[in-house]
Amino acid sequence: MLHFLHWRSLLRRSRFEGEMADEFAFHVQARMEDLIRSGLSPQEAERRAQLEFGGRERFRAECRESHRVNWLDELWRNVWYALRNLRRTPAFSLAAIVSLALGIGMNTFVFSVFDSLILRPLPITDPAGITFIETTTGTTHSFPDYKEFRDRNTTFSGMAGYRISVMSFEHGGDPSRMWCYLATGNYFDVLGVKPAVGRFFHQADDLRPGASPYVVLSYANWQARFAGNPKVVRSSVHINGLSYTVLGVAPRGFHGTEMLYWPEVWVPMMMEPQVEAGNPWLDERSTWNTMMLGRLKPGVTAAQATADLNRIAADLARQYPDNDKGLRVRLAEPGFLGSSLRGMVEAFTGGVLLLAGLVLLTACSNLAGLMLARITDRKRELAIRFSVGAGRARILCQLLTESLVLALLGGAAGCALAVAACRLFSRWHAPTDFPVQVAVSPDWRVLTFAAVATLATGLLFGLGPALRSSRTDLNGLLKGTPGVALLKTKYRFALRDLLLAGQVAFCFVLVFGCTLSLQGLQRAITLPIGFQSRDVTIAAVDLGSAQYSEARGRRFQKRVADSLQALPGVTSVAYANSLPLSIDQSTTSAERTDEPEKQGRRRQHANWYDISPGLLETMQIPLLRGRDFSEHDNEHAPTVAIVNQTFARKILRTTNPIGKTFRYGPQSPAIQVIGLVADGKYVSLTEDPDPVVFRSILQDYNPTTTFVVRSRTSADAMVRQIRKQIAVLDAKLPVYGTGSLENMLGFAMFPMQAAAIALSAFGVLALLLTVTGIYGLVAYSVARRTRELGIRIAVGARSFEVLRLVLGKLLLLVSAGLVMGVLLAFAAGPALSAIIYTTTPRDPVLLIGVLIAILAVALLSCAKPVARALRVDPVSALRSE
Amino acid sequence: MRHDAPSRVELLQGTLDLLILRTLLAGPSHGHSIAKHIQRTSEDLLQVETGSLYPALHRVEAKGWVAASWELSEKGKRAKFYRLTPLGRKQLTSERSKWEAFSRAMALVLNPVDQEGE
Repeated sequence: MLHFLHWRSLLRRSRFEGEMADEFAFHVQARMEDLIRSGLSPQEAERRAQLEFGGRERFRAECRESHRVNWLDELWRNVWYALRNLRRTPAFSLAAIVSLALGIGMNTFVFSVFDSLILRPLPITDPAGITFIETTTGTTHSFPDYKEFRDRNTTFSGMAGYRISVMSFEHGGDPSRMWCYLATGNYFDVLGVKPAVGRFFHQADDLRPGASPYVVLSYANWQARFAGNPKVVRSSVHINGLSYTVLGVAPRGFHGTEMLYWPEVWVPMMMEPQVEAGNPWLDERSTWNTMMLGRLKPGVTAAQATADLNRIAADLARQYPDNDKGLRVRLAEPGFLGSSLRGMVEAFTGGVLLLAGLVLLTACSNLAGLMLARITDRKRELAIRFSVGAGRARILCQLLTESLVLALLGGAAGCALAVAACRLFSRWHAPTDFPVQVAVSPDWRVLTFAAVATLATGLLFGLGPALRSSRTDLNGLLKGTPGVALLKTKYRFALRDLLLAGQVAFCFVLVFGCTLSLQGLQRAITLPIGFQSRDVTIAAVDLGSAQYSEARGRRFQKRVADSLQALPGVTSVAYANSLPLSIDQSTTSAERTDEPEKQGRRRQHANWYDISPGLLETMQIPLLRGRDFSEHDNEHAPTVAIVNQTFARKILRTTNPIGKTFRYGPQSPAIQVIGLVADGKYVSLTEDPDPVVFRSILQDYNPTTTFVVRSRTSADAMVRQIRKQIAVLDAKLPVYGTGSLENMLGFAMFPMQAAAIALSAFGVLALLLTVTGIYGLVAYSVARRTRELGIRIAVGARSFEVLRLVLGKLLLLVSAGLVMGVLLAFAAGPALSAIIYTTTPRDPVLLIGVLIAILAVALLSCAKPVARALRVDPVSALRSE
Repeated sequence: MRHDAPSRVELLQGTLDLLILRTLLAGPSHGHSIAKHIQRTSEDLLQVETGSLYPALHRVEAKGWVAASWELSEKGKRAKFYRLTPLGRKQLTSERSKWEAFSRAMALVLNPVDQEGE
């Protein structure tokens, strides 16, 4: 671009020079002719004409100057001048660049996330043609329904089904647990993806259950486990103990159609009974596990497709009323499990983007104030430049260049920051073995955004002050009374005052929100979550994927628990299918046996866990009444359960449920309650107490097993011990989800931690900006009124009155801002408490604390200019100006 | 040329622009004929140096008071002709009234009333 401009300028310049030479030549010629006419010889006439014309180089330069053809030089001169000026005030420049870098960097980063998740199309052929198909009540379909939709529709050129699943993957060394997609044979063809190596599976590879032991690797998996070796094609790997052939590798960056889920392999759907051993559902009309996407035929509208599919849905509802009654489908954008997650992600990233934008705006208003104050210092210099004939446009240009140079420097630093943040963020993995990842990489959209943000920022904070100062009263300035000159300008600081008050308000909301979230985090760590996570180590195995029979599984669970119990330092050992606050949670319906069966939505639900005897003790879940399970509560004994207080209150409607019975559904036997435990947190830290039922894993065998060990040994050492003990029994069994229980809680804590970090960053930035903003305003007003202050002090004003003069307006603005902030915080309270765990979003103590803190910061930040105001020496103030 | 002139007046700073505009009021003209016209009308009292003329022409062109174009001169040669723009016309009016006020003021000071009768 620069080259291009330069080249054009050169071209223009050479044309201009040529014309100038022609013009001068014509003049000499005409003069010569005049002289010849007056009687001189041609030679003499030419000599004389040339001589008269004089040194053309000098006035050629003057002509050039008057046209300013060399505007590029002019631009460089302006930039140079700006840089020199900025270097003269390093503190200001640094503050400006840092606040811009943070502001622009933060915006660019947040926009990158927004772009990667929401704006960027999937890396597939014609992504606009792909649509997710969900039901009006949920995300998934039964596989038989999928086949009906696929075969009977007339509006889609292809329709694929897929399912997120997990398996045990073995290649060479130890097997490991791996997340995958089960996908119908046409999946890759519908999406239009080309393999990086080898081939994908097609419709013909996915016809009969169990007959297509093929696997496609993700690019990352190929790199990590196969060192990117292309010979991997046609080699064999083991999944759940069975041999599978590697067909090919998916292209880099392709990870299916769910934005946050990064599976490592794709396996044909027909292998479902093998991958999800013990849970075949391909023919089950009641199991809705299939997600569906389709490619619209060219020219078909979403409405036509929806109508087409609902015609089929209506048929299905008639044919299979037990499972499909009321079935209706709709189209949704792919990426976030249909519409269930998209709205949330959009609202969250959009909201954060808005916040970041507000921070940047605040930074702009601040810098505008600082620039204005700076220009005041240079009034005299500017006035001299005016008087020697520099045009208003030229001075405007110069001042704008200065702010643009600042913005560019800040923008460049901000981009570097944003790229670093993107790298860091992409490397982040949720503290769980579920492959949640956000790949954020800046692309042209992000670059455009950063460039526009930078330029807009530069103009926003530069234009106002520049325009204002190029419109000053020249005479007043030159006479040396800038006070008078400034009073004559029409500027009343109305907008700037408003900005400052708004900034204070915004700062208050952010700082309040961030202290709230930090307080919430603090409280959450010490919160009664219903169990003690300290000193507990966990490790999980999936006996289902490993093809264990129930009897073998039961034996295995018992033997591992016993061997762990025998280790030195171990206080107690237990196991369960899942733990509270882990990612894997299940619910069941539950009702009193002495009540008629309830229908639909009126049914009550409870979370359930299959636990071994001793789990309550190991997790230190307080047993309030009754007893824990014992070894005798096995498959031969009557079915019993332990419930929590909420279960007792809501479902059994009693405070002493011991001996009461309930059932899961009409067909289930009556279950007797033998114990009552205290309420805890089960799904999230912010939830209200949920009813929970604990079942004896000895009665309800469950192949998914998490071992829970309480010991004085460190978590790492304990994990090694557990692995060793499991390997003694089955060296091939993948162990996953290992670590301290506290670590696992990180998953439950994560949304809050993320919110706390983001809000803290915003809060600190807002506070910094407020400090500079207030400093700027006060410094400016003191500089502006030095003369007035001098006079007042000369006629006997006391320090107190000077203070009132300088601070009166500021205090008014800050107070107004704080009032606005409190109102805003109250209005945003519900939204805040949705992400921040807190019982009291209007905590008065915290509110007053933050108010006082911001007031203190405001006063501190104007200490320096106020001190300057108090020290004004009337004599020198009056003389110097 | 300079030494040939019997008597000569230095141009005051900024007045050349005014003279150029006034000259162009009669119609488009090129640099040489503008200089000649000023010289002739001022009865050779004002000598316009090319070193001032061309920068001044380019200056008033850049300010938009005159517009330039390449046309054929009376002798059939390509020459750069300057012509007064509406903006230039307005500028001329205001400059002229300023100048008249200035010269009247100068005259009043230099020729006090009591000497006027002489």
